[in-house]
This record gives sequence, structure tokens and C-alpha cells, in this order.
Amino acid sequence: MRLLPRNTLLERNTLLERNTLLERNTLLEVRDLEVSFQGMETVTVLSGISFSIKESETLALVGETGCGKSIVAHAIMNLLPPESRVKGNIEFRGKSLSEMNEKEMAKIRGREIAIIFQNPSLALNPVYSIGHQLVEPLCVHQKEKKKTALYRVALALKRMGFVNFSECMNYYPSWCSGGMNQRFLIAASTILNPALLIADEPSKGLDKKCITELEAELKNLKMESKSALLLISHDLGFVRRLADRIAVMYAGEIVELANSSSLFENPLHPYTRGLLNSLPEKGFIPIPGFSPPLNSLPSGCRFHPRCPLREKRCIRVHPEIKETGEKAVRCFLYP
Amino acid sequence: MFSISLRADSISKIYGAGLLSEGRCVFQNVSFEIRPGETFGLTGPSGEGKSTLGRVIAGIEKPTYGTVYYEGSSLSKMKRTKYMAFRRKVQIMFQDPTGAFNPRKKIGSSVFDVLKLLKIPNIEHASKTKEMLITIGLSEEVLSRYPSQLSGGQLQRLAIGRILLLEPEYIILDEPTSALDVSVQAQILHMLKNVQTKKNIGYILISHDQAVIRFMSDTCGLLENRQLRIIE
Amino acid sequence: MNQFDCTVNSCMKEADIEGFSEKKTESSNFEFPEETSYWIFQKHKGFQGLFNRIGAFLFILFVFMALFPSVFAPYAPEERFIPYEAPSEEHLLGTNDIGNDILSELAFGARISMTVGFMAALISTLIGTALGLCAGYFRGALDELLMGFTDVVLVIPKIPLIIVLGAFLRPSIWILISILGLLSWESTARVTRSKTLQLREAGYVKSAQCMGFSSYHIMKSDIFPNIIHILFPKFMLATASAMISEASLSFLGLGDVSMKSWGMMLSFAFSQGGFIRDMWWWYMPPGICITLCVLSIALIGFGLEAKEGEYFREGANTL
Repeated sequence: MRLLPRNTLLERNTLLERNTLLERNTLLEVRDLEVSFQGMETVTVLSGISFSIKESETLALVGETGCGKSIVAHAIMNLLPPESRVKGNIEFRGKSLSEMNEKEMAKIRGREIAIIFQNPSLALNPVYSIGHQLVEPLCVHQKEKKKTALYRVALALKRMGFVNFSECMNYYPSWCSGGMNQRFLIAASTILNPALLIADEPSKGLDKKCITELEAELKNLKMESKSALLLISHDLGFVRRLADRIAVMYAGEIVELANSSSLFENPLHPYTRGLLNSLPEKGFIPIPGFSPPLNSLPSGCRFHPRCPLREKRCIRVHPEIKETGEKAVRCFLYP
Repeated sequence: MFSISLRADSISKIYGAGLLSEGRCVFQNVSFEIRPGETFGLTGPSGEGKSTLGRVIAGIEKPTYGTVYYEGSSLSKMKRTKYMAFRRKVQIMFQDPTGAFNPRKKIGSSVFDVLKLLKIPNIEHASKTKEMLITIGLSEEVLSRYPSQLSGGQLQRLAIGRILLLEPEYIILDEPTSALDVSVQAQILHMLKNVQTKKNIGYILISHDQAVIRFMSDTCGLLENRQLRIIE
Repeated sequence: MNQFDCTVNSCMKEADIEGFSEKKTESSNFEFPEETSYWIFQKHKGFQGLFNRIGAFLFILFVFMALFPSVFAPYAPEERFIPYEAPSEEHLLGTNDIGNDILSELAFGARISMTVGFMAALISTLIGTALGLCAGYFRGALDELLMGFTDVVLVIPKIPLIIVLGAFLRPSIWILISILGLLSWESTARVTRSKTLQLREAGYVKSAQCMGFSSYHIMKSDIFPNIIHILFPKFMLATASAMISEASLSFLGLGDVSMKSWGMMLSFAFSQGGFIRDMWWWYMPPGICITLCVLSIALIGFGLEAKEGEYFREGANTL
């Protein structure tokens, strides 16, 4: 057998990997998801969201606060409040999640789909030590004995890079900074090797140093485990290095969906262009106006009041999403 | 030349110093100066005392050693009338927009309180408020809303608007955009720059985000290991 | 990309943007909305809601009885009939030892019992709030002083003090109200103080201090409205507690003889032979009334628990 030169081997491996990306199975499929809340008035929070995540893929859901991104995560996990009405289809590995009862859903949560919520210090119970809380999912889902579970947790913490992991197990959440708590949460969520990890605004409230550490953490996670990642964030810069594909949301609907590299090089939708312009690297150029409240949306295209390229048509008619190959965009500029 | 600057002269802040304990030193021997219309950026690792330095400069907390001078006179030795004037001229805008307004009161009510404090005659209330709303870019409708019904960006604008009613000369911005989305951050930073040019206000901008500091400030100071190092 | 460069000024005026739903034309009436919202009642569902409603219904019934006793009472309470009568058609609850109709006494007694309860609770809540606010807001030496004073007052026993005073002064309703009110403000003061300590770190309080508002204004306008949701249940529970104390003291004979409260009725029932003669229609109704009244107040008090930070949230806006 001839030994191939090293760079050819590398090329061949990446080519194989890329091919297998295309052939990978779809892990999560969301089709025409519509969520509305019944209160004094009915507010439609999500209108027709459709996307899919393949195994080991990272999809980022980007948008301003109030556009409904967290609600997508809650809808997948079936954690919406009782006054919500859900329409549409969410399928995980071919099984429909919206039709499952609570018992089956509880088996999937934590085991196959794990979620990391926004505020790390609030998500951890302040009266239990970190060790206790990390051991809980193992004991509940895999029925392990506490001693073996503790050992596994210690290994997981060591893998994450904590130097004094045995001491960390006895810490309480209030003793640690936000960044550390966030990493504990990630450890707790990934200990069962879930197939899909949903991270809901993991970088909120953290300073720059913690954000860089978090990025490194998530990158490690991607390479070591085979979990798919649904990353929800308002910061395009944060998801740039982590995501394979990015979906941009505005006022409850997806306006653009593309590969990470092509989104940054050639953004199609004017809102995406605006978001990119407001990044620090491009000079903090703002998008004029405010994102509309979900109970009084503009007519026609929801972005038209703030769009510099709007036409007469945009005020009257609501554009549908057009898919061309790997990209999708919701704008009349691309009929 | 009559100096109208705000100057810190070798100020230090030590918490809990007493007979029994040495206390915790937040910063030592910090000196800098700022004039109206300029922006001084204060950055450094978080938790190191940038906010404390901002509060000492604003006169809310007293420095353990050293003096803060406003228009040439020392804060600790000022007469009451001059101190009240100083209190109006130097304001702080805090980090969290949701905590900036009393949740039980509508925005209009909070604004009305400030107008009453300034003893502005009733006839001028409407015009002053409208002028303020135009500067910050919001419509009159926000006055009848409760703080919980507004977004973070809008609340942050209203916080600046309320401060602007007092016609300050210096505003200390304590992490003004950390709690906001990246897209809203750009809007707020531009609004702050606009306000500065229009009203000739001096800013002390405290932030851990280097990009924001670089974008906004003329001079910059790094607070690290209890010392302030002026760069740029 | 060139088409998208916007100038700095264009992001300023929201009103400039065409078609934006928030744009308003110049409104002719420019008024400042001035109310501070004091609304604290929360809608509870299910079991809790049932408790609330029962409590509210009973309480309103008793207040009505206190305000308009003649609706419930067939005769005036001083009118004398044949004493020691059992319940009959003319006297639904019989008569007492001097011939007064018991039902009428009960109806008129509501007024006395509830007045004592409310006034004592009012005094204690006012004192407790004022002291707690000052201690929590100013901190330092004043805080230590006031909390030390609170501890001292906590130690003084109420009922023995009233017994001692009863020996020297003629027992009257005003002594009762004053002592009960002046000695039961400690827990209100402590709770107010801890809440004030927490609220004083809020952004809007610090901003108000920075802008130069006076301490009095800040306490009245920023801190007080945010502690009302704790004070109201405490007031209700203080009323209940004062009513029970008053009943106990009246039973011991230290109440005002000229004003017959429910406790006084019990006291007379005991001392004038109602227990011996097994006249359940005399000693049970006042006892039941006291119990029900206190229970209704307690149910309302528990039902008024308002959750922090959830004022006027519409469901969709929180997620």
C-alpha cells in the first residue's frame, strides 16, 4: 500500500467529510411552525417558521430581542405556557414532537435534546452544589448510582478544562462567576451526549473574555461530540465562527437562510445587510427605526418601514420565502 | 483661563479600612481630566472598579484620599448652593435599562417629576418634553406606557432623555450598551454621539468592550491592578 | 452596499419613517399621565381563587354588618325583654341575663370589634412603615438606633401591660387601641426595612439620588409604591391579630363595658352564668363571628400575594 502524501490525505478527508455532510440524516425538521398566545388579544408570535438541522450540524438563529427566537426553542422542547396555541410540524428523527404526551417528551428532554437557557446563574438551583446538580440527569435518565455518576461528572469537568475539578464539584452557583456557571451548565447538558443541543442566547450578560472562552468551549464540543447545535443569539459576530448555516429572523418569521460563509460575503436580505453593518468591525452603522411589536405588525413586508430599498409593492404585499438550492430569502428583490 | 473641567487628582478608594482591617483597595492615585465635548473612555477587566471610579467622579461616593475638582473648586469643600448646581451638571446613566424607571409609574409621570424638580413653569413642560423626545428619537406615545412595555433600547434612550432635561455638562455612561442587542447598540451609540455634538456634553464612557471605546472616545484609560494608565 | 449607507441623522427620527405604525401627528392635547399605579390585586385561578372569593364575600358581609347593623338586628341592643330566654321566633338567638336580644347585640358588636381591629392595625402599620423606611433608606447610625428600639419594643408583653394598666385606669376602648397599636409594629418595620434595603439599590432610586431629588421625595414616590403590595396583606393580618387580642382582653374583663364587642359578650356569657346553664345560643355566636371574621381577613391577606416584577406584563412580551 502506497502512503499518500499528507496534504492529499487531509484534502481527501475533508472532501469525504463534506460529502457525508450532504448525506447526513435530518435530525430535526420544523415545518410551518405557527405559535400564538391567547390573552386579552391573540398575538401571533411565530408565523410559518421552517428549517431543518442535520446530525452534527450547527444552525444559528439570529435576530433582535423580541423577534421570537426563544419561542422556537421552547416550542421544540414543548415548554410553552398553557395559553399558547401551536400549529405546524416539529419532527425529531422522524417522530412528531408536537403529538407526544408529557411522559414521552420527558424522556427525550435532557437525553436526546438538551437546552441551555439564557441566564446561567438563574438556571442553577442555588441551594444545591454543582456536583449534585450535574449528577442529577445521570441518575434520573440512566439510573446510575451516585458514586459512578460523580466519577463521570468529574471526568466531564476535567475534559472541559477545569483544573481543580474535584473542588468545583463542591462549589455553589452563587460562588462562581457567570462565565463559570455557563460552563457548568454546558457540562450538565452534554453529559448524556444529546443528539441536539439548543443554546438560548448563551453569550448574554457575559463580558468579552467570557464570550471568547464560551466560543472555544462550544467549538470543542462540536469537534469532540457529534451533537447538532441550535444556537440562538442576537450577535452575528458571535455565531460567525461557530455556525455552519445561519437563519436570520425578523418579527416572527425567517427572512434569510444561508451557509455561514455565503451569508457574510454576500448577504441578500436588506435586514441581514443592516445587521452586518451594525457590527463593530463595520463601524456600528445602525438600522433606522425599531423592530415592530408583535401585536401591531406593519402591512406587507414586515421590514418595509426600515428598508432603504422599499418599493410600493413592499407596503401592500407580504413576500413569501423563496428557496434556491442551499439559500432561502424573503424579499421582493429576489423574485 | 477659567477652567470648566472635571478633574480627578490622585484619588483612591479603599473599602472597609479601619483600625482592625486594612480594607480592600479598589484603585489608587488615579488622576485624569475631562472637558465638555470630549469623551474619556474607561476600560479594563470587569469587576475591577470602573463603576466605582465613575461614581466617585460623579460625587455620589467620596474618595478615601485625593480630591475631585469641578470648575476649579474641590467637591468636599463646596458650599451647598454650588454643590446643588454641581449635582445637576454631572449625571450618571446606569447599565441596566430595565431598572432605570420606577415600574409602578408611567414614563410620563417619571418625566413630570424631573420637570417639577427643576421648577420649570407648567407652560413650558410640553415644549421641553417634545424637544427631548425629538433629540432621542421617540414619539410621544411612549409617555403613556409603563417601563415593562418598552424594549431595552427605548428605555435606554428615555434614560438619556431624562438626564438631558437637567442640561448636564458631563454624563458618566456606565456600560450603556452591554445589556442591549448588537443592532440596537449601534443606534444608541450614534444617538449618544449626536447628543454630544448638539449639546457639548463631556462623556466618561465605561465599557469592557474595546470596540465601543475606540469608536466613541477621544482619550482612553485602562484601569488595571488598581492603577489607571492613560493610552492613546 | 452603497444604497444602504445611512447618515447618522436618519436613525434619529422615528417619526420620519413612512408608514411606521408608531408615527403620530402632533397631538393637540399634551398631558402628562400622572398616576402612580397602586394596583395590587392579582387574579388567581382555581383553588386559590376560591379562597379569595370566600374570604372577600365573608369580609364584605361583616363590614356591611358593622356599617348597617339595623339591617341584621330586629331590636335595639339596649331594649330589655324577658331574660335567659331560649331561641324562639321573636328572639332568634334568645336573650341574655338582662334581657337584651342576643342577635341585636351581635350585630351592633361587629362595629366595635372591627373598629378596634382596624384602628390598632392602622396605627401599627403606619408606625412600622415609617420606621422601616427611614431605617432602610438612611442606614448607618439611624438604622442601628431604630432597629435597637424595635428590639426593645418587641420584648414588651402586650397583654400583661394592659392588665397592669387596667388596674390603675378605667378600661376604655382608646387605651386598648393605643396599646395594641403602639406595641405591634415590629414585624412590619422589619419587613419594610429589608424591602427598602433591596429597593434602594435599584437603578431608578440611584438615578433619582443622582439628579438631586430630596430623600423624602424618593421615599414617597419611588420606594413606597413598590412596598405597598407587602403592606396591604400585613395590614389585614394585623387587623385579624388585633381583633383576637381585643377579644381576649375583653373576655378577661379589661374591655370597655359601655361598648359591647363580641369579646365582651363572651365575657358576660361566662360571668353571668351562660356556660353553666348551657346556653349555647349566647356564647357560641360571638365566638363563631370572631373566628369567621378573622378567617375572612386572613384569606384575603394570603390571597393578596403579589409576585415581584410582574406588573402589567402581557404574556407574549416576556418571552
